[in-house]
Amino acid sequence: MISLRGVSLVYPNGTRALDDVDIEIAKGSFVFLVGHSGTGKSSLLRLLYREQKPTRGEVSVDNVRVDNMRNAKVPELRRNVGVVFQDFKLLQDKTVWENVAFALQVTGARTKDVMRQVPRVLDQVGLAHKARVFPSELSGGEQQRTAIARALVNNPKIMLCDEPTGNLDPVNANEIMDLLHRINLKGTTMVVATHNAQVVDRMRRRVIRLEHGKITADDERGFYHVTDAGETTTTVVAAFK
Amino acid sequence: MDWGKLRFFLNEVRRNFTRNVIMQLTAIGTVTVMIVLLGVFLFGREAVARIGDQVVHQIEISVFLDDKATASDAHDAIIAIRSDPRVESVDYVPKAEGLRRMRERLRNQIDTSLLTSNPLPDALHVRVIDAGTVAAVAAHVRKLPHVADVEYAHDAVERLLRLSDVVGKVGIAILALLIFTAAIIISNTIRLTVYARRREIAIMQLVGASNTYIRLPFICEGLLDGLLGALLALAILALARWQLLPKITTALPFVPADVLHIDPTLLALELLGVGAAVGILASWVSVSRQLRV
Repeated sequence: MISLRGVSLVYPNGTRALDDVDIEIAKGSFVFLVGHSGTGKSSLLRLLYREQKPTRGEVSVDNVRVDNMRNAKVPELRRNVGVVFQDFKLLQDKTVWENVAFALQVTGARTKDVMRQVPRVLDQVGLAHKARVFPSELSGGEQQRTAIARALVNNPKIMLCDEPTGNLDPVNANEIMDLLHRINLKGTTMVVATHNAQVVDRMRRRVIRLEHGKITADDERGFYHVTDAGETTTTVVAAFK
Repeated sequence: MDWGKLRFFLNEVRRNFTRNVIMQLTAIGTVTVMIVLLGVFLFGREAVARIGDQVVHQIEISVFLDDKATASDAHDAIIAIRSDPRVESVDYVPKAEGLRRMRERLRNQIDTSLLTSNPLPDALHVRVIDAGTVAAVAAHVRKLPHVADVEYAHDAVERLLRLSDVVGKVGIAILALLIFTAAIIISNTIRLTVYARRREIAIMQLVGASNTYIRLPFICEGLLDGLLGALLALAILALARWQLLPKITTALPFVPADVLHIDPTLLALELLGVGAAVGILASWVSVSRQLRV
C-alpha cells in the first residue's frame, strides 16, 4: 500500500530530515510514527501526500510512484489520501457542515453526493448535532472530529494524521484515537505521527521510531519508549497499571 | 445542470470579488481609463483613415497637353484614358475654359486683366476609382501622344499617409503601456485575494481540488475587473459621443459628418473583448505564480 525505498530528504538549508529510510506499510494497517520533534515524522507524511518530494529514493502510495508524479496528477492522489493535522486547519467562517462539504465541493462532487456524504461522515464522527455550528464554538476534540470528517468524506484509502492529539487533553485524545481506530477497522490504512506515549502504549499497534531521520525501531505491537537493550517497553505509568 | 455546484462556484467568485473592494475598484478604474483611451484612439484612427481615404479619393491627375494638340487629339486622349478600367472619370478643360476658371478662382486676389495671352495648356482632369492606382495611371497617361506633363499631389498623399502612420505608432506605444499598467494592477489585486484566501487554497490543495478548479474563481475575478472596467468605459465613450460629436462636427467643418459615424456595436464589442482578455491574462499569470500549480 505504502512503500518507501532508500528515501532521503534534505531541505535547502541543509537539514537532513530523512536519511535512507525503507518502510513497507500493508493495506488496512494502523501504524504509529514516533520520535521527538524534528526527527522527520511530519516530513515523512508530507512525502506521502506529495507536499514534498524526496531528495533521493522511491515513494509509492497505493502502488503508484508519487516521488516523480506529475503535478497535474497530485490532486488525484490527494483525493485518496485524507490528511489530519494538529491545528485542525478548519475554515473559521464556515460551519462544521460547510467545512466538511467544502472538501467535496472543491473536487467537483455533485450536490446530490454532497447531501448524502456529509451527514454520513458527520454521523460517523459523532458531530451530526453540531452541523450548523462554527469551529470557534467547538471544543478541541470536536474541531479535530470535524477535520477527520473532512479527511474522510472523499472515502480515502489512506489517512495520514500529523499529531492529531497534540492540542487535546487526554480524554479527548483517547476519543480521537478510538475514532481513528474505528475508521481503520473499516479498511482505511492509518498512519499516525505522534509523540503521545499514552495513546501509543494503550493501542499496541505497529510502531516505527524515527531518530535523526533514521528508523531506529519497527515493532508490530510496539510501545512508545525503547529500553537500553533495544526492546520497546511501556511507559512507567502504563507499566504499572 | 447541477445548480448547487453552480451556486457554490458563483459564491466563491463573489467572495473573492468582495474581499478587497478598494483594490477591486482601483483595478476596474485602471481598465476604464485604458479602455476609454483605446476607444478614443481606435475612433481617431478610423476617422483619420476615412478622412485620408476621402482626400486621396479626391486627388485628381492633371494631364496637360502640348501646344500642338488639336481638339481631335484631345478627344483621342480622352478616349484612350477612359478605356482604362482604373479610371473613374475624365474631365476635359480647354485652355479658354481653364483661364476662365482661374479668373473665377483668383477674383479679388490677383488682377488677371493684366494677362494679355492665355498661358494655360489644354488640360484633362482624371479621377481614378482606387486611390492606390494614382501613380500607375499617371505613368500610363504620361506615355500618350501630345501629353506634355502629368501632375498629381503625391506629396500630399505621402505626407498624409506618413502622419497617420506616426500617429498610429505613438498611439500603439501609449496603449501598450496602459494595457501593461492595467494588467499589473489587476494582477496585484488578484495576488491580494490569493493571499487573503491562502488558508482555503491550502485546504483545497490538500483535499485534491484540481489546479483548474482552484484557479477558476480568480480568473473570473480578473474577468469581472476587465469587463466592468470596459463597461464603465463604454458608458463614458457613449456619453462623450453623444455630447461632443456634434461640437466637433461644428468646430471642424472640413471634416465630413458621415466620416465620424463609426459603427458603435463593433467598437463596443472590441473594447469589451480587450477588457476581458486583459483581465483573464493578468489573473492567470498572477494566480499561477502565487499557487505554483
